Amino acid sequence: MSRLTSWLRPAYATPFRVAGAVVALIGALLPWATFVLNEGPYPAKATLQFFDAPFALEGYRLHTALLAIAALVVAFVPVPGRNRVLRGLGWGVIAIAGVNLVFISYEGGGFGAVTAAGSVAFGGLVALIGGILVVLGARAGGLESPVHLPVEMPLWLAWLLLLVSFAALLILVSNTLTAGGQGGVANPYSGPIFLSFVGFAGGLMAALHGAGVLPWVSRLSERHRAFSIVILLGCALALPFTGAGTEYWMTVAANIGVYAATAIGLNVVVGLTGLLDLGYVAFLGIGAFVAANLSGAVAANVDITLPFPVAALIAAVVAGIFGAIVGSPTLRVRGDYLAIVTLAFGEIFVRSAQNDIGGLTGGSNAIPGVPAVSLFGTGFNESITLGGAKLPSGVLYYFLIVLLVALVMAVFANLKNSRIGRAWIAIREDEDVARAMGIATGRAKILAFMVGATLAGLAGAVFAHKLSTVSYESFKFLESVTLLAAVILGGMASIPGAVLGASLLFVLPEKLREFSDYRLLLFGLALVLIMRFRPQGLVPDKHRRAELVGEDDEGRPLEESISGEAHLPTLGRPPKEAT
Amino acid sequence: MRNKLVKPAAIVAGALLLAACGTNKTETPAGGGGAQDCDQTKGTLVVGVVAPLSGSLSALGLGIKNSADLAVKQANEACTVKGYKLALQAEDDQANPQIGAQAATKLSSDPNIVAVIGTLNSSVAQNVQPVLADKNILQISPANTNPTLTRGEDFLNAPKRQFETYFRVCATDDLQGPFAANYLFNKAGKKSVAIITDGKTYGDGLAAEFRKQFESLGGTVVAQEKVGEKDTDFSGVIAKVAPSSPEAVYYGGEYPAAGPLSKQMADAGLNVPLFGGDGIFDDKFIELGGKEGDLATSVGAPTDTLDSAKAFVDAYAAGGYSEGYSAYGAFSYDATNAAIKSLATTLGDSGTWGEDQREKLLENVGKYSADGATGEVAFDEYGDSTNKLLTVYQVTGGKWNPAETGTFEK
Amino acid sequence: MTTLFQQIANGIVLGAVIGLIALGYTMVYGIIQLINFAHGEVFMVGAYGGLATYAYILPTQLRADWQIALPAVLLGGMVIAVITAVIMERFAYRPLRGGPRLAPLITALGVSVFLQELVRLFYPDAKAALPFPNLFVGGDLRIPVPGGGEVILTWIKVLLVIVAVLLAIGLQMYVNRSRMGRAMRATAQDADTAKLMGVNPDRVIVLTFILGAALAGVGGVLYGAYQNTINIDMGFQNGIFAFTAAVLGGIGSLRGAVIGAFCIGLIKTLGGQYLPGGTQYDYVWIFVVLILVLVFRPEGLFGEPERVRA
Repeated sequence: MSRLTSWLRPAYATPFRVAGAVVALIGALLPWATFVLNEGPYPAKATLQFFDAPFALEGYRLHTALLAIAALVVAFVPVPGRNRVLRGLGWGVIAIAGVNLVFISYEGGGFGAVTAAGSVAFGGLVALIGGILVVLGARAGGLESPVHLPVEMPLWLAWLLLLVSFAALLILVSNTLTAGGQGGVANPYSGPIFLSFVGFAGGLMAALHGAGVLPWVSRLSERHRAFSIVILLGCALALPFTGAGTEYWMTVAANIGVYAATAIGLNVVVGLTGLLDLGYVAFLGIGAFVAANLSGAVAANVDITLPFPVAALIAAVVAGIFGAIVGSPTLRVRGDYLAIVTLAFGEIFVRSAQNDIGGLTGGSNAIPGVPAVSLFGTGFNESITLGGAKLPSGVLYYFLIVLLVALVMAVFANLKNSRIGRAWIAIREDEDVARAMGIATGRAKILAFMVGATLAGLAGAVFAHKLSTVSYESFKFLESVTLLAAVILGGMASIPGAVLGASLLFVLPEKLREFSDYRLLLFGLALVLIMRFRPQGLVPDKHRRAELVGEDDEGRPLEESISGEAHLPTLGRPPKEAT
Repeated sequence: MRNKLVKPAAIVAGALLLAACGTNKTETPAGGGGAQDCDQTKGTLVVGVVAPLSGSLSALGLGIKNSADLAVKQANEACTVKGYKLALQAEDDQANPQIGAQAATKLSSDPNIVAVIGTLNSSVAQNVQPVLADKNILQISPANTNPTLTRGEDFLNAPKRQFETYFRVCATDDLQGPFAANYLFNKAGKKSVAIITDGKTYGDGLAAEFRKQFESLGGTVVAQEKVGEKDTDFSGVIAKVAPSSPEAVYYGGEYPAAGPLSKQMADAGLNVPLFGGDGIFDDKFIELGGKEGDLATSVGAPTDTLDSAKAFVDAYAAGGYSEGYSAYGAFSYDATNAAIKSLATTLGDSGTWGEDQREKLLENVGKYSADGATGEVAFDEYGDSTNKLLTVYQVTGGKWNPAETGTFEK
Repeated sequence: MTTLFQQIANGIVLGAVIGLIALGYTMVYGIIQLINFAHGEVFMVGAYGGLATYAYILPTQLRADWQIALPAVLLGGMVIAVITAVIMERFAYRPLRGGPRLAPLITALGVSVFLQELVRLFYPDAKAALPFPNLFVGGDLRIPVPGGGEVILTWIKVLLVIVAVLLAIGLQMYVNRSRMGRAMRATAQDADTAKLMGVNPDRVIVLTFILGAALAGVGGVLYGAYQNTINIDMGFQNGIFAFTAAVLGGIGSLRGAVIGAFCIGLIKTLGGQYLPGGTQYDYVWIFVVLILVLVFRPEGLFGEPERVRA
């Protein structure tokens, strides 16, 4: 990249920015396709004529125009972190133009979509060029060091600002979930519309990040921790009242929640303690099977019916015990070898569950008919009316799972900053040194496995009731890899990271169901690319970021240069010199 | 350096010029649109499919999807449902119960959904059933053979319908297994058998029902073994069952493993017929190593004797699908047709679809009866197929040939 | 008695396949301490490469002639496997070298999923299992055993065992005697010093991947030939077995990998025969052995004990 753009001079910055913004704006107004995609709402106005209705923009063309106008304004008005903002906006335009250009060309049979039957539709290309020009302009200007906005302010103002920020986040999440509609035959274009919305939202977020707004919000919320947590929880609980409050999205969101809770548990083991666990989904399975057996399902082999909270607690404890057992080899085994031991345990679990070990797992018939959790006579799978609003069925599960995730987060956050949490991090950094510093590494590692497994077991209990059937097929190796991918994608040891990672890994396949055939291919590719280009994940934990890319949490290079390989995190066997 | 700046500018100017001059004011509709002889003015109704479309079971899942698609296309061409266009919406369940429930929820939230065809895996069906039943949406499975899905845990002694919305067109394990046992014991005269299963719902269930009947007839099961889902080397299992010299091997599972198993049995000197269910009744079985004399049961009369079956095979070939219709394609085709034709009956010539019609649709499916690609298609009071006609096929001359057709009576 | 000997023979055949994969695992781990999870997929890709050679390149009239078909298909499988491995090394692993330890392992998982899906989506009809030709003479070898009865092995299985053993010996000789082999051993022992001595680590690593992939390609083709079928899942499971074998034998040791592989093969067949749970649990025994070895003798049967390792 740097070689490609070495010809850029600071003097080009302004002309490029302005030209790019103008070109992108024109692109938004030009026709994008030579034909009408009439099977749905997608580019209903793709062939809108420039002079017929220049202001009747909607959908992705509106988004392009908005980003372009923002870029134009920033090109003239100096704002903090101007070039970073412009870079974000430019990439947003490129993303929208790219997605729609590819899709329209695909639908229109290649280049024919752009030039056919004597008509041309260069909107997409022009917008793309505009976006590239904006990015080049930003690069020519040179990226500023990250902006630091002050966080000292009166309490009421801070609270108000946080409230506004989180409300905006809620709206963004809700809009992203509903972007492009639900897909299906009635709406075959939901995938591209969704992607293009993501491009828009991503561009905006990147611009806000560049202007220092996002880091500022995060610092502000750290200052007012308790308040932020309450508001964030409130926002999560408010999601069913937005456009995303359909049965479908509540089901998806609840599933995401279960996996997010499990991923946070895995984060204790992988992210904090640095022990790679490739069989982690087994603990979710153990929790689920225990809860299913105690739920009074007809197929259960244990003839005891316990109320959900008790069953969940037992599930968590049993999973925790298994966690300690699986963790015990850590006393002797490290690194890659440990990963293989956990993989072996995971495979043994699946195999045993498939063979209906002890009559507890239903074998290949699974355990169906696990009753829904109910409270005061209301089944959690029913729809409810709350304050005049009719909420879809599944919403109670959603609430339950939000609380579960909140609980797991609280456990994780407290552990992380506790004595044992610091011991875990020390083990992750260098086990031998940790031991030399007086940490009982063996106990700490087993405890990490236990805590992780307990959290997963708790999630498993909810999983069993939410799903009503528990089958060994839900706990195969690929599920463990997916969980691991969620943790890594989000950023190891980072709580928001695990939630974000789990959300992405579930929302993307849901939103892009028309490409389901390529799901795993892209999943594999994504793992490779993330490790190559962003090993610290999307929302990196401060410490991890420092280790992996030598930057602090705001992207500034660390002062003390990291000396060679010696400081790289040594998961597993320390470098050869140690022998 | 100057011309580096000029170049992009020139490109942009050129593009703008072209765009400004060349835009054509008439909007040309996409494609030819096809022959629209039918009245489709009332809108689009959706037939959903839930099946594994990605991952290792996708061959079977895609066969289900394509066959359902064929039925929908044919119905649209023949104007089966008056006033409506039908559309197929296939959702991937990744062979994962939880994703299946999610897919079902997605489909069920569409008021225009009339029926869901699926699933492939019984474990996924267990999760899809309650979601669809909640909204009163018709579900017809082409492939679930687990008897508990329709008749509950105690399906033999105290059958109880589980979901009013759930039907299936395939035979359940408790028909196919015993039918196979009868044939093997009485007709083929084999008194001792070894059972091998793949440990999955279909294979285990089928083998269990086979075993019950075979033993009650007085036969001996000399060994029962399980192979791994992903295994292809069966020499260990074969060597284990060989010394008990079974006269036949009953395999509960599907053709991708059954073919090589049969071949490896012969290689290891265990030259006895391999017998399986409809999961191995596929030409691929022979291609993969199925040998002369191997047996399989399948639902319905032999396909050669049924015009409807041949019609399906021809139409599928003409449909230009990139995947074969595989083991459950014909069932899926029949299931989809049952749903569509019942819908046509429900709506009549002038009916209007609404969610209140779903009750009536379920009733009509219960009464539905027609000849399909797998034989007669109709449902009993539990939602099971009434087509109790089963055929035993045998590999002779490198292809499956019918050996006996009959029904299993309890 | 016959059963015991037959199971031992079966175990040895399975062990030969696993051994061909395990050699690649152990070499790569020995040199760059990477558990190349995707190595099992190289084996799978090799099998599909062989099948493609047979189905699309080899003229029909030559297919029946095993003296031509077998080497051609083996070569096809090896070439495809080697190309895959080289691309994988260059674009997935090399950029991560010297980075955090966890990263390559996760990359390897990603490559593994990616390769499986690539074949499933783009090889014709690969969504289901595909038939594979028997590339060798038909018929079988019958060895009488004490107490009557005989052990039966098809000739292709016999060939597989012979080829595997010969290749393992050849590889051992190459590594021990040749110049490049010496460079490999030097890099494995101390990469930095080897570099100072004029060894190009990139070349050594690529060569390691090439050798491993070639063996896996041979394994994939012969595996397909004796099973008469291949599918996209074949790599993952056998890959895990092979890794277990490499660990059991002492990772980094070529001789250990082969002996470990035969042990794994025997555990699977004999465990399925004699241990409780039968064939339902034969995998479980392999994993139990894996865990026990890792916990109690992490250096394996033939590895050098290294205190800091594992």
